[in-house]
Amino acid sequence: MSDAAGDPRVMLRCERLSVRRGRREVVHDVSAELRAGEIIALLGPNGAGKSTLLDALAGALPAAQGRIERRGRVAVALQSPDLARRTVLANVVLALAWWGVPRGNRAPRAREALRAIGAEHLAARPAATLSGGERRRVHLARAIAVRPDILLLDEPFAGLDAEVRASLLEDALSALRSATRATLVVVHDRAEAWALADRLLILIDGRLVATGPPRELLEQPPSLEVAHFLGFDGRLDDGLEVVLTRPAHVALDPAGPVHGRVTRAIPLEDGVRLELELEHGRLYTVAPLPAPGPGDDVRVRLEGGVRFPRFEASAPVPSTAP
Amino acid sequence: MRLIWDELGKALPMIFHGNPQLLDVIWFTVQVAVVATAAATLIGLPIGLALALGRFRGRNLLRALANASLALPPVLVGVFLFILFSPAAPLGFLHLIWTRRVVFIAQTILALPFVVALSAAAIQALAPGLLAQARLLGAGRLQVSMLALREARIGVIAALIAALGTSLAEVAAVALLGGNIYGYDQTLASATLYEVGGGYYADAVAIGIVLIVLILILMCGLGVLQQQGNGIRMRFRSAA
Repeated sequence: MSDAAGDPRVMLRCERLSVRRGRREVVHDVSAELRAGEIIALLGPNGAGKSTLLDALAGALPAAQGRIERRGRVAVALQSPDLARRTVLANVVLALAWWGVPRGNRAPRAREALRAIGAEHLAARPAATLSGGERRRVHLARAIAVRPDILLLDEPFAGLDAEVRASLLEDALSALRSATRATLVVVHDRAEAWALADRLLILIDGRLVATGPPRELLEQPPSLEVAHFLGFDGRLDDGLEVVLTRPAHVALDPAGPVHGRVTRAIPLEDGVRLELELEHGRLYTVAPLPAPGPGDDVRVRLEGGVRFPRFEASAPVPSTAP
Repeated sequence: MRLIWDELGKALPMIFHGNPQLLDVIWFTVQVAVVATAAATLIGLPIGLALALGRFRGRNLLRALANASLALPPVLVGVFLFILFSPAAPLGFLHLIWTRRVVFIAQTILALPFVVALSAAAIQALAPGLLAQARLLGAGRLQVSMLALREARIGVIAALIAALGTSLAEVAAVALLGGNIYGYDQTLASATLYEVGGGYYADAVAIGIVLIVLILILMCGLGVLQQQGNGIRMRFRSAA
């Protein structure tokens, strides 16, 4: 491990990195770069090896193979927002003490970080009295306050209800953005990744299977596996190709070219999620109310989706579906 | 039942008339309890921290030994130390047998397992995320240790209470090593034994009552400190 060489904007680089937990290799052959000013979301299903990769990048786990180069100091905010039994401000001040910030600078910097993440009003509160969302805010403030060159966050929004998560995400969006800092956020939820990240790293079964800007990956997933992970749950066989769709790509239209039958209808807040059985596949869509019910015949129009060769799942043919 | 009341009736005037020999025993008991607990704390807390936070081979075995030593019979410790310090033994040249110093040493050794095992358990019960987070934000070993002690302070003070209780109440090792010499190295507990052995039940009851009051005073003091640690900010700061 050494300082990232070459491009001065590269703050963290790993090359062909493999990491073990005990005897089991959890991360295999991962190469990636993190640049100053950039926020990257590391996305993957449960057990994909995201936290293990983050631990290795932080230096908390050794690399079994490959190399990691870092430029500057790394701060990590673990998934669990455990705070010391003292006030919120004292918790952030304590983190600054660990980081080595001179005593006189700690309180102003702690207040600044709390303000940035929308938690200044909590400063005098004992940590034990905070709600889950408030604890997460303070946890984030602690990591931001130390002003690291590289910031690694492990699922900072885990376990929050939708409303609290949306509010924290909004505040984190501006607080995490820095021209000089490189930030890697491990997220479980795709919506968090879209909201935060300039670039996504998708890790499945310990392998880095896709990397790129969120919009680009969504429009052009590099493999069937990635497409499934990104929410392409509909599948339609079309000759030698497979068309994968997201619910937004499927519209109910009485004049649509494809015939289907509703096999399941799940009520949502603003409509109904429909499962449609077609002659050559199964599609999903979200329809506004009033929506057809199970057993109803419908006509469908496709407004997007991606095509893959039927027997070559790894090589995509990105295009708009018919 | 009548005997108890009779002996109590004789014992209470002894306490309230301020028998100078009784005051000497009380003062020596307090010295032994405080010094032994303080020494066991100084030695035991770093060991407890190492057992709870350290990552070394054999840690689990050492933890099991620390827990097992809580059940160590004091008389066995007394016998072991007697053999070690007896005139013909390797440490005989220290001339400790039947001195006050050996009473301090014995009580410290008996209090030590309580500090080690109970403080280690209290620290292990902490949420692991906080200490890991501290390390990842650059905290050194001393800072992590101070954080752990501060966060586990209720359990750590409970360990000190247990150590102090042992120092106050233990009698076998004191009698064996110090000789339980009247007017010299008796503690309240060993003096009670001495008086019972001589058939002076009223004196034994008087000393016993004083011992219970002393235990209550010292334990209540630590108990208050423990509860303050739970709710009120203590001047027991992490290294910062």
